[in-house]
Amino acid sequence: MKSEDTTSQAVEEQEDMSDPTDDDMLIQTDVSDSVSAGSSTVTDTVVEAKDINVWYDDDQALHDISLAIPERQVTAMIGPSGCGKSTFLRCINRMNDLIDAARVDGELYLGDKNVYDADVDPVALRRRVGMVFQKPNPFPKSIRENVLYGLKVQGIDADYDKVVEESLRKAALWDEVKDRLDESGLELSGGQQQRLCIARAIAPDPEVILMDEPASALDPIATSQIEDLIADLAEQYTVVIVTHNMQQAARISDKTAVFLTGGELVEFDDTQKIFENPESERVEDYITGKFG
Amino acid sequence: MAADSPSTVRDGFGTVSRTAGVVFRYALLAATLLGILAVGILFVYVANDAIQPFTADPGWHLTFFLTLVVPTLAVGYSLSGRGEGSLRVGLESLGLLAVMPLFAGGVAVLFLSILPALVVFSFAVALAIPLAAIVALQRTRQVGFVAKLVAAAVVTVASLLFVPNFIQNVPVIPVEWLLVALTIGAPTAAIAGAYAAASWNDRRVGRIAALAALGGVLVGGLVGSLTGVGGIAATVLATVAGVPVGLYVATVVDQHPTRREGLLLPLVVLGGMLLGAFLVRTVGFAGPASWLDWAFVTSDNSFSAESAGIYPALAGSIMLMLIVSLASFPIGIGAAVYLEEYAGNSRLTRLIEVNIANLAGVPSVVYGLLGLGLLARMLEDGLPVFPAVVADPLGLEPIRVGGDLFGIGTVFVGGLTLSLLILPIVIISSQEAIRSVPPSQRQASYGMGATRWQTVKNVVLPKAFPGILTGTILALGRAIGETAPLLVIGAPNEFGIPQELSSRVGAMPLQIYAWATTSGTEEFYTKVIPAGVVVLLVAMLAMNSVAIVLRNRYRQRN
Ligand SMILES: Nc1ncnc2c1ncn2[C@@H]1O[C@H](COP(=O)(O)OP(=O)(O)OP(=O)(O)O)[C@@H](O)[C@H]1O
Ligand SMILES: [Mg+2]
Repeated sequence: MKSEDTTSQAVEEQEDMSDPTDDDMLIQTDVSDSVSAGSSTVTDTVVEAKDINVWYDDDQALHDISLAIPERQVTAMIGPSGCGKSTFLRCINRMNDLIDAARVDGELYLGDKNVYDADVDPVALRRRVGMVFQKPNPFPKSIRENVLYGLKVQGIDADYDKVVEESLRKAALWDEVKDRLDESGLELSGGQQQRLCIARAIAPDPEVILMDEPASALDPIATSQIEDLIADLAEQYTVVIVTHNMQQAARISDKTAVFLTGGELVEFDDTQKIFENPESERVEDYITGKFG
Repeated sequence: MAADSPSTVRDGFGTVSRTAGVVFRYALLAATLLGILAVGILFVYVANDAIQPFTADPGWHLTFFLTLVVPTLAVGYSLSGRGEGSLRVGLESLGLLAVMPLFAGGVAVLFLSILPALVVFSFAVALAIPLAAIVALQRTRQVGFVAKLVAAAVVTVASLLFVPNFIQNVPVIPVEWLLVALTIGAPTAAIAGAYAAASWNDRRVGRIAALAALGGVLVGGLVGSLTGVGGIAATVLATVAGVPVGLYVATVVDQHPTRREGLLLPLVVLGGMLLGAFLVRTVGFAGPASWLDWAFVTSDNSFSAESAGIYPALAGSIMLMLIVSLASFPIGIGAAVYLEEYAGNSRLTRLIEVNIANLAGVPSVVYGLLGLGLLARMLEDGLPVFPAVVADPLGLEPIRVGGDLFGIGTVFVGGLTLSLLILPIVIISSQEAIRSVPPSQRQASYGMGATRWQTVKNVVLPKAFPGILTGTILALGRAIGETAPLLVIGAPNEFGIPQELSSRVGAMPLQIYAWATTSGTEEFYTKVIPAGVVVLLVAMLAMNSVAIVLRNRYRQRN
């Protein structure tokens, strides 16, 4: 859609326009540079977590998570409810910063840059890492405005009509809404809302896309459309997806991380290996449905 | 068990005792009714004194019963049977017709008695210029934020300094009602156009609506100035009442054809009133000897009960409300946004919040003392822009501005004191509204890479705004009824129409208090005061009705 450069420029320009006293604005760091630098070298790991621990007040939700997410592939996170999958996802784009109780410890590299370094601006980081949440959360604005929200806040100039159509097509929603782009996003059904949120997340063209159970509210047809979409996205972007659906993880992902209760990463490997020949017995039990 | 159950069912399911529940329910009902009944009795009592309905001929009652009450009830009943929301449309349009002319009256008072049309117009232009400049600046992408801020500030200051003077000294001045039409009619038409464009989803409709609204205002003003109504009054009426009613009717007719019948209700009420008035006049039935009449609302105060009117007090209350809303709106909302969105959950913020909650309960007399001590006494010579403490050692003259505004019992001090009084309420209700914006909305915005300011501006404030407005208007309703703070800051017992911010303060509750204390004759107690109370309550209820309508709309949308 647009080159690397215009985006990072737009990021800076936008900073300029926004409130200079904003406390989200830490010292200016261009995360994008480091990401591009990282991807142009031989390493094809784009996100690398090293000993990530997360606490909510005094409860530890994640224990020493270390894993490397490959570039332009789909990485799935599976595990029973409450094991910390969403928490880990939020570590990647520092959404945990917004939760007062949450405390994150450890290193998480996006490209060559530790996103928890003091000089990283979380807002600039989130412009490189898109996110789709577990519950659909469209804005009470028109469908069009929902899709364009990221572009507008990031100050990206583009052919808006084209971006709206492309993003909605990719999210398998275009045919259903093309005649009512000016209606409120809240008037859509739950599944349509979730696809709208996916369109919103991919519209500003992020590098990494985090999806927290994007298909949990969808019917089988829309689900398979979303799965196709994820496969398409993986050609261009790095996709990290949380899912409760084993078959889905097996179908769409290249790598799978299995979290188990207590917030531990039990196994992380190629999806095929995890599903056919897992190292750990607990993982095998979980996958075959013996517990969890 | 399984074998037993068929026989149990055949014998019936048995009953579960609900005695305690029923007793509880009726106890709750009694509590509810007691409160409502007490207020209702008070209303009836006061209204009876003010309007004296039983002094009318029985024939008068009968005529209106037949022309107004019976047809209205009949139409209302048939509408309620029809469903599809037509009764709601009927009641809404009736409410609009009842309330909007009251607001028009308030605005007309402002233009007729307080603010010269030319002055208002010149300031409106002086504010419109920087507004247009800011919009234009926001569109450009080349300049940075600081440059934009400086440019906007320069334009604003320059425009406010020079434009009003310039306009006020232009040799050819159009007629006053035309100025009023431009000052309030043009923005109203623009808003009507934007609303129509949004609700019809069509820019062309929006443009037509805006032009129609402006045309309607101009025609109204022209007709008013040619007939006895007066150009300014007619312009204001067309703007404040005509445009919203027209927009409502157009919306119903075009977008909810099944509810069209609802519009019959206001027509029947209006027709019934006119017909009744005509019949009563031709037959010669005497109406009630109401104390609350046009003359009472529009004439000056007096020592004799017969000629006492509430007009100066009404004008004073309107002026006070203007100051209060201008002062408490931005400060209160600003504080609420800061506390909710920016300040973390530290001990200090919790302390501040507890204090604000306590301030909301502080008696109004205390606020009066604050106004007296701080605004009327300490700042009597004006705001110390360049205070004596700094100026004296340097051998310079201290500079103070606004000396005439501050001082004992001025409208300005009264308005600020009332603003302080309702500020905690405004802050708390705005906080509540902001807190009710779901966290998932904020997360969605932050997740898209929005800064805090962008999130507040694009997501939080738009969604919280109706709630904020509701709370603020209800707080204004409290301010309009306050007497004690005004007394404490030195309000006089007699006052004229406050022409300037430095005039002596006057207000309706103050006037009622003055009638009750200094002119306390029987006539005053039984007629003038009830009439004044009814005017005050009507003004307050009209304001609150806006809040109620807003709240209902807001709830529907969620
Ligand atoms: N905002 C929060 N405050 C306090 N504790 C939290 C918060 N969010 C999550 N937790 C706790 O952290 C643990 C992990 O939660 P998380 O939401 O990451 O689980 P999950 O794997 O995404 O579960 P699910 O599959 O049900 O979505 C849980 O025990 C949860 O109670
Ligand atoms: Mg989750």
